[in-house]
Amino acid sequence: MKSFQYVVKDPLGIHARPAGLLVKEAKNFSSKITIKKDDKEADASRLMAVMALGVKGGMQITVTAEGADEDAACAAMKKFFEEQL
Amino acid sequence: MFGMFKKKEDKIEVGSPVRGQAVPIREVSDPTFGDEILGKGVAVKPTDGRVYAPVDGEVSLLFDTLHAVSITGTGGAEILVHIGLDTVALKGEHFTAHVKTGDTVKKGDLLITADLEKIREAGYDTITPVVICNTDEFAAVEGVTGSDVGPGDTVLILTKK
Repeated sequence: MKSFQYVVKDPLGIHARPAGLLVKEAKNFSSKITIKKDDKEADASRLMAVMALGVKGGMQITVTAEGADEDAACAAMKKFFEEQL
Repeated sequence: MFGMFKKKEDKIEVGSPVRGQAVPIREVSDPTFGDEILGKGVAVKPTDGRVYAPVDGEVSLLFDTLHAVSITGTGGAEILVHIGLDTVALKGEHFTAHVKTGDTVKKGDLLITADLEKIREAGYDTITPVVICNTDEFAAVEGVTGSDVGPGDTVLILTKK
């Protein structure tokens, strides 16, 4: 399992557009990718779940990837967050 | 109008959340919707700011900026109603919510009132995409477009897998 923590910089947080792009990115990998905020967890391939986390700017999240391509998945998600959020 | 159609078990009909003109989702200028990044759907150009539940279900997420709401239908569809484009930036201004996350709703229940005139004055397009977030879980998601619709008139037909 690979993971990283990230503090969201975009003040609007993970609203519909970034959530859609995030899910699209996550679906490129076979690994199970999970986003955790406090005690709430969302499967990164499920748009509604990702939006329901209600992540705003300044909040810290933990992203984990588990599976055959977890290294690549984790790197890609990290890049996504740094570029988009 | 609904009584005219006999519902088949493998189909789910999604009603328009607003009064307006139903158009194909590809006509939405924001690629997030037009390119179906959030899923397949339809869009309605609203003429009235009252936004109603498109199906029976649960409010799975009322965005705290009140510009969008997700309903999980009893049939399993995860429906996102997004009032206008980029309206997240209004941070709740010009929107009034009538429900909260977790509420059970019936098709036709009032969810949100949007002051369309004020939103347009602020420079935003009020076109309202209605998107099936779990499009992958359906065999087909088809828009019913090209005409004026009232709240509850069918704008999307989902075929179960």
